[in-house]
Amino acid sequence: MRIGMPHMGNIFIPFKAMFQRLGVDYIMPPVNNQRTLSLGVKHSPEGLCIPFKLTLGNLIEAAELGADTLLMIGGYGICRLGYYAKVQEQILHDLGYDVEMIQLGVSERKFFGLLKMIKRLSNNAPWTKIVPAIRFGLAKSNALDRIERVVQKVRAVEQVKGTANRLLAKAVKAIDQADDYNTLNKVRMDYIDQINQINKDGQTQPLIVGITGEIYVLLEPFSNLDVESELGKLGVETRRTLFLSEWTKFSFFLNSLGLNEKARIHKAALPYLKRDVGGDGWESVGEKVLYAKEYDGLIHLAPFTCMPEIIAQNIMPATKENIPVLTILCDEQMAKPGMLTRLEAFVDLMEWKRRAQKNH
Amino acid sequence: MIRIGIPRALLYYQYYPMWKTFFQELGAEVVLSSPTTQTMLSSGASRVVADTCLPVKVFCGHVLSLVKECDYIFIPAIRSVQRRVYNCAKFLGLPDMTKAVIPESPPILDIDIDVNKGKRVLYQAIYKLGRHFTWDPLKVRRASIAAWQAHLNYRELMSSHSLTPPQAIEKMLGSSEVEPKTHSSHSTSTQGTIAIIGHPYLLYDEHINHRLIHRLEQAGNKVLTPEMLTTEELESAIVKLVGRAYWTYEEEVVGAGGHYLESRIGGVIGIMAFGCGPDSLMMDVVRRQAARLNTTPFMSLTLEEHTAEAGVVTRLEAFLDMIYRRKRKQVEVCV
Repeated sequence: MRIGMPHMGNIFIPFKAMFQRLGVDYIMPPVNNQRTLSLGVKHSPEGLCIPFKLTLGNLIEAAELGADTLLMIGGYGICRLGYYAKVQEQILHDLGYDVEMIQLGVSERKFFGLLKMIKRLSNNAPWTKIVPAIRFGLAKSNALDRIERVVQKVRAVEQVKGTANRLLAKAVKAIDQADDYNTLNKVRMDYIDQINQINKDGQTQPLIVGITGEIYVLLEPFSNLDVESELGKLGVETRRTLFLSEWTKFSFFLNSLGLNEKARIHKAALPYLKRDVGGDGWESVGEKVLYAKEYDGLIHLAPFTCMPEIIAQNIMPATKENIPVLTILCDEQMAKPGMLTRLEAFVDLMEWKRRAQKNH
Repeated sequence: MIRIGIPRALLYYQYYPMWKTFFQELGAEVVLSSPTTQTMLSSGASRVVADTCLPVKVFCGHVLSLVKECDYIFIPAIRSVQRRVYNCAKFLGLPDMTKAVIPESPPILDIDIDVNKGKRVLYQAIYKLGRHFTWDPLKVRRASIAAWQAHLNYRELMSSHSLTPPQAIEKMLGSSEVEPKTHSSHSTSTQGTIAIIGHPYLLYDEHINHRLIHRLEQAGNKVLTPEMLTTEELESAIVKLVGRAYWTYEEEVVGAGGHYLESRIGGVIGIMAFGCGPDSLMMDVVRRQAARLNTTPFMSLTLEEHTAEAGVVTRLEAFLDMIYRRKRKQVEVCV
């Protein structure tokens, strides 16, 4: 059994670590690139969102490399994501790949579903081996996110633009290669130190922009044309509302224990949106309300034709809590110059707003 | 008397007799918006962001036309009407979205329908809706039983008499309720039999589909719709194609499509709205099945507010020509 799975940001690193420890034959498709996108777009129905197209591209590339069992997220009661595995399986079969799709449910009984699936993939490895493997994967994911949080801060104020990003890329590689907890911790501390020591403009107080929206386009820089780095180049500090390690921790483990990190966000959204609309729509509205006072602006990332985010996008202007919001719809037609122009205008707007507040 | 506005869009086609009975039993007057017009569509589209799907734009247009006509607008949030089968996000967010984009609208009566939460929650939700009119739980109970009966009659009427929803509503509630419907002439020499699949709010809204059924009938075709199939037929087709229904209204597309593709008819036309999340996937499943079977011609028409009549007509004519030619060829081979 040779396993393949789609990319979503750095999700491959924890999975790779876990699979390695369990002796699962994991075939990693190339990280998202133009070919992935073209393949995905070519074989997808046109009205689908970019996560479908990119993940389909990943699955095709994994199948080309010889993967015969493909993992894909599924489940019920979420947006159309739950239907993707079914359709992608049909597309792969129609293309002549003899693959089996395994759905990883993210809606109900997800904790045990995840454990069961890993047990099955690892050829019935003992639990004493599975649990530490999952833990190690999570530790890697944690380390990645901690470094990224530092990078988000430094990127805005570094003197030589791009230094933090270069270090981040090195750190990702080093974490990917770390074999045990000791090396992992060392790598993490090492890089956090290095990034903190980058020469900075001491004077400026950067604008702070919250980044909210749909999980895939938030976590996959290829799909949003790396909007966070571009904002960093413009001297803006980004605060993403969602990190992979936190999301996994809550949605797979803590939610089953009745803890809900989103309760606060949902409560904030309540006056404007009373119920879950699938995906991350409810959270997008809630985060706008919550962060209206904290941040200078909000970037709302959504895939084109995303159903929950369209609802959110329609509701957001009606909230009393006011904050500039720039909605960026991500699809295969999006081009960098267009996005940059919009970002520059948005940053100008936030600067004027801040100056006006100061003068008062 | 309290006037309840019901927009003639989206779920109107599935549930109108039920809703009307419920509110009338509780002593309210029901105001229905008139059939879709271009003005309605444009005014609705101007309120929401551009990539909102066509049916929701139409819906907003209907709500806008009702703003001054009623005291409340009824917009249910239907999450699930079958266990572990869920509805499109747009239906869930509809009450809140309408409130946000049409701030001048009268108060919105919403009700959460989710059968996964159990009967008690459902009954409580119905009672909560009824409380706007009466304190008497028994009266609400009577009204909901009458409403449910009306719904069953409506479904029965459609499947046993092969009626489309507008025809069935007309028959049940009197002709004043319905848009002028051209009855099929049932000419003896039918050119072919064409099935159209898709959601009722696209198939029977003559403005947005440019009177597709009428055009097909005028060209001498017998038109089949998803409502003419029994639940068993629809379900078995879904099982065959995707295993298990995922969407609440999957049978109208995958079920009907899967069934008609194998029932030796002239052709199948799938109608979907641009930007419709569920349809973009479901229509693809049907299209793939059509390509695999390679026996029945299939065409999918995507509707949006820019869809021009001429474009629809041209594609329809080309599709029909192909079917007629195919039929002639088959006849020649037989001779």
